[in-house]
Amino acid sequence: MKVHYKINGEEKEFDIQPGELLLDVLRRNDYTEIKGNCYMGTCGACAVLINGVAKTTCTTLAAQVNNAEIITIKGIGTISEPHPLQKAFVEQGAVQCGFCTPGTIISAYALLKNNPDPTEEDIKRSIDGNLCRCTGYVQQIEAIKYAIKLLKGGK
Amino acid sequence: MDGFEYIGKNIGKIDAMALATGQPLFTDDISFPNTLHIKILYSPHAHAIIEDIDTSEAEKIPGVKLILTYKNTPQVLHTTAGQGWPEPSPYDTCMFNKKVRYVGDRVAAVAAETEEIAYEALKYIKVNYKILPTVFNPEEAMKEGAPVIHDEEGISGVYNPKRNIISHIEVKAGDIEKGFEESDVVVEDTFEMQYVQHCPIEPHATITYLDEYGRLVIRTSTQVPFHVRRIVAQVLEIPVQNIRVIKPRIGGGFGVKQEIILEEISAFVTLKTHRPARLVFTREEEFVSSRTRHPMKVTVKIGAKKNGIFNAIKMYALSNNGAYGTHGLTVTSNTGSKTLPLYNKAPNIEFMADIVYTNLPVAGAYRGYGATQGYVALEQVVDEIAEKLGMDPVEIRKINHIKTGETSPIFKALGEGREGVTQYIQSEATDKLLELGTKEIGWYEKIRKPAKDATKVRGIGMALLMQGSGIPRLDMGAASIKLNEDGSVNALYGGTDLGTGLDTVVAQIVAETLGIKPEQVIVYAADTDMTPFDKGAYASSGTFISGGAVYNAALKVREQILEVTKEIFGEFDTKDFILKDGFVISEKSGKKVSLSEIAYQTLYLKKQQQIMATNSFVSDSSPPPFAAHFVEIEVDKETGIITPIKYVAAVDCGVAINPELAKGQIIGSIVNGIGYALTEEYKFSQTGKLINSNFMEYRIPSSRDIPDIKTILVETYEPKGPYGAKSVAEININGPIPAIGNALYNALGIRIHKLPYTPEKVLEALRNKGA
Amino acid sequence: MLKLKEVEQCFYPNIIEEAAKLLKESGEDTRIVGGGLHLTAFPNPAIKTLIFLNNLKLNYIKEIDGKISIGATTTISELANSAEMNGYLKGNVKKLLQSIASELLRNQITMGGSVAQREPYSDIVTMLLTLRADIVIHDGEKEIKTPISDFYKSNFRATLKKSVIKEVLLGKFDASYKFGMKRFIRNATDIPLLNFGILTQVNEDAIKNVSIVVGARPGSAERFAQAEEFLKDKTLSKELAEEFGKFVEENVDVAGDIRVGKEYRAHIAGIFAKRILNEFMEE
Repeated sequence: MKVHYKINGEEKEFDIQPGELLLDVLRRNDYTEIKGNCYMGTCGACAVLINGVAKTTCTTLAAQVNNAEIITIKGIGTISEPHPLQKAFVEQGAVQCGFCTPGTIISAYALLKNNPDPTEEDIKRSIDGNLCRCTGYVQQIEAIKYAIKLLKGGK
Repeated sequence: MDGFEYIGKNIGKIDAMALATGQPLFTDDISFPNTLHIKILYSPHAHAIIEDIDTSEAEKIPGVKLILTYKNTPQVLHTTAGQGWPEPSPYDTCMFNKKVRYVGDRVAAVAAETEEIAYEALKYIKVNYKILPTVFNPEEAMKEGAPVIHDEEGISGVYNPKRNIISHIEVKAGDIEKGFEESDVVVEDTFEMQYVQHCPIEPHATITYLDEYGRLVIRTSTQVPFHVRRIVAQVLEIPVQNIRVIKPRIGGGFGVKQEIILEEISAFVTLKTHRPARLVFTREEEFVSSRTRHPMKVTVKIGAKKNGIFNAIKMYALSNNGAYGTHGLTVTSNTGSKTLPLYNKAPNIEFMADIVYTNLPVAGAYRGYGATQGYVALEQVVDEIAEKLGMDPVEIRKINHIKTGETSPIFKALGEGREGVTQYIQSEATDKLLELGTKEIGWYEKIRKPAKDATKVRGIGMALLMQGSGIPRLDMGAASIKLNEDGSVNALYGGTDLGTGLDTVVAQIVAETLGIKPEQVIVYAADTDMTPFDKGAYASSGTFISGGAVYNAALKVREQILEVTKEIFGEFDTKDFILKDGFVISEKSGKKVSLSEIAYQTLYLKKQQQIMATNSFVSDSSPPPFAAHFVEIEVDKETGIITPIKYVAAVDCGVAINPELAKGQIIGSIVNGIGYALTEEYKFSQTGKLINSNFMEYRIPSSRDIPDIKTILVETYEPKGPYGAKSVAEININGPIPAIGNALYNALGIRIHKLPYTPEKVLEALRNKGA
Repeated sequence: MLKLKEVEQCFYPNIIEEAAKLLKESGEDTRIVGGGLHLTAFPNPAIKTLIFLNNLKLNYIKEIDGKISIGATTTISELANSAEMNGYLKGNVKKLLQSIASELLRNQITMGGSVAQREPYSDIVTMLLTLRADIVIHDGEKEIKTPISDFYKSNFRATLKKSVIKEVLLGKFDASYKFGMKRFIRNATDIPLLNFGILTQVNEDAIKNVSIVVGARPGSAERFAQAEEFLKDKTLSKELAEEFGKFVEENVDVAGDIRVGKEYRAHIAGIFAKRILNEFMEE
């Protein structure tokens, strides 16, 4: 069957098997920025925004989100024009191996869209589904706080 | 560090922006047309002989191109351990064996047009197993009459296969029994550690293909590209020169990717079919069929004099390697070699260990590499001795720890599969670590007056640690640096950045040495065709060994630049020249010439040459980093739940070339260690099957599980390391278990001897205490 | 990798009547897809037909006739962030919702899905049972409202082969009502290994209209009738809390499993019982 999405602002149409997962459909169509492999929604590396909500693509049927608006990390910023969250993650040492980074930034992005002034608890809660084995989360949390400053126009 | 442009500075990781914007940097982010997908069939039995295997039905399935079993693959006994040759691990496995030795052992592999077809085909492979008796307990495995797990012809490097003993270690100094007799107090205690896994968020992944010239290329998520090349050559019986190994960005390793477990299968498929092949582990395979930490039972006995000085230390480690012997000898050697020298005041030392086969998942390299398990026992027995003597735990460590200029007989006695190397500590500031750490945690305020209310009690505990920086006279890295027209350089080195930031540290070292910006250093690493050799990312050798090689190469390039400059300036004492901001400047005359001008001249105009140097680095010492960890926990007496509140790590890693990266290593290790202490453990069925092979049931810490963590870097200068650096990658994972164990004792007077410290065990210990 | 290989048809009904009809007509290997978490995390390769509820717009939270009506596809996050939950039972439901699982899962787990799956480790099920919620289903012709404990006493799985959950109704409780629910978890984003909820009216310290639920026992969540009987008409006090805790530990119906032992489950149920009552006194 055919599905249609708007991915990072671009209209896209894909041929899929009806039972396929969004993760697999997107990765085989070159959206390799979406990582992950637990296939149970537990590691968070495959997270994207679907109609503005952060969700794991490994637990999302491609057919279910037909016509949805999807934003991946590439829709948030680019190397030449990174989003303040991406800048902050780079500058605050929050990127080590980087495998969890796209998913974590997606979650943080979703948080800041809904809540531009989160508490530390809110921040921790927003990324609690993004497992990281490298950083121990501290620098990621600091990066999100720094990004909030940048977004408010500071520094 | 003062007086440096880039050393000691927090420049952002050079690959960080590419990673943060989702560029296709990992192994499986690139796909090739015509790829065959590989799926592996695993044994459902913990111990069985494969009497016959019939793949004919599976081969008929459309889309199936090749099925591998022991029948059609080379039967070359080797080790999967990515270690230097000759590997100090037994050669006890073939690509596919005729016997399976744990639930999850490899039986066959299917290469097909799609993953789904390959996976489906597995069902149709008929295997006749002759089921054998199993043994899961290392103590049982060593007994007479236990099932013999490795009885095959031709295995080597196993100490006593008939008793399932992979290695036996015995190292002595002084007279241990006399040492205890002379002691005023003696304490002995035993701790048992569980199976845990690294859980890199990117699982193992390998893609192999033939390049345009028909040469095999292995693109793989590995910590050891050069060992991959050598071992694949060995296993497939092809020359090393026919193989190229490329390491893309890696999504975490922590030791689990210091192993050759996918590459040989994928390579074989490519060689036989002439097609690209892809093999990526599922999360379940990562848990069951890759590698784990060694579960160990460690007994430590310390005898001390009344004044607190240790007189005798004895350690026995019983290490469970699982079904194959990879990393067995070396990990358990570290259990003693990276712990006992810390307290070098004791003249009487004994370290003994047995490393044993069982019918369980295979243990391998994991951050800390045996030292972690040693510290669980050592640092808690030290606290127990302190209590017996009525001494403060900080005080007893202060008077016993190794100091600058000192040595320990263990350095020479315990190497890694070979004899070790005597060394003297040249950089150390342990008393400063203790001073700053105790201040930050509030040790002296809290140690005697734990905060408590009716149900919650607080406690504080500490652990003192050391590790190493590479393996002396064994670990070697090399680098090549060449100068380009615009004053930039290519830095080619074999070292393996697995997300740690080593490539960035390399850029900083080169930039500092040549007086250019880190952005002008084009780092290319870990490609067996294009970069010089490096043993790989393990043993905390990145900055020290790989960085050391880069530093040496940069120094040579610097020499060449200065040599050319002599003629340009007409001045002949290069001691007057400095390299700064992309220029060579004569401090004597003020003359300056840019590196770019020098490059244009030497590449095109006069006395042409490529300014370039290659250098290697091997060290005759392994300067230990030191760390003092302190934790404040809160224990709920009614539920038994332990919550770490604050964690302080004071760390001496020499000069931190990039303090933000060092901080990342420290915090990441601590959080991992907290998981190891409190929630992570493998659970097996009665028949040896791993039951909790996913993140729902195997609990690693999330962002909501971390305490307030403070890192304190105390700088020392290590003369053997590039710009004074030592290592920082492993040491800090050794702290959480003993620090929390000691804090638990401080809070409630109980000590738990079996990890992890679950609420059930806390309540049980309280009940036993009669609380 | 594709696990749901047999799926042939996907339907996107626009009204709930249509959804229920399709469900009845499509036979055995058909699944309703709300959030889709269970379907994808634990895929059943036999499934042939999927009926997506997206177009039904069942993600609403509104007050109707003195009840809070929560549409079946409302996620935990949506409910937690709703205005209606802000003051509801003094914000204790909101706090609970925010702590369940992880953010990404809270964004996907739905009320309807939780009710339909009735996972033993579902916090939502325990919560809804404690709150004495009503489940409203649509059988293709009409809506049927059932209190959740009756729903679970019936053959609800058979019912859900022919009906679609439309919404969950929560009562509005005045200030005399208190709610507390505690969960034993290994770390923050874990499934509960035991959860325990109490909803009760406290009139001049006397306990009335109490519902007590124990879940993840490891069996499915159930009303703890014995404990409700124990507390009925008693006066809230520290001593009662202590007694109640012991009673629960001795009488709660729990077992051990690979995650945690029977004794611990019983013990922590008792601790939770005591602590919830103590917290009620502090409110």
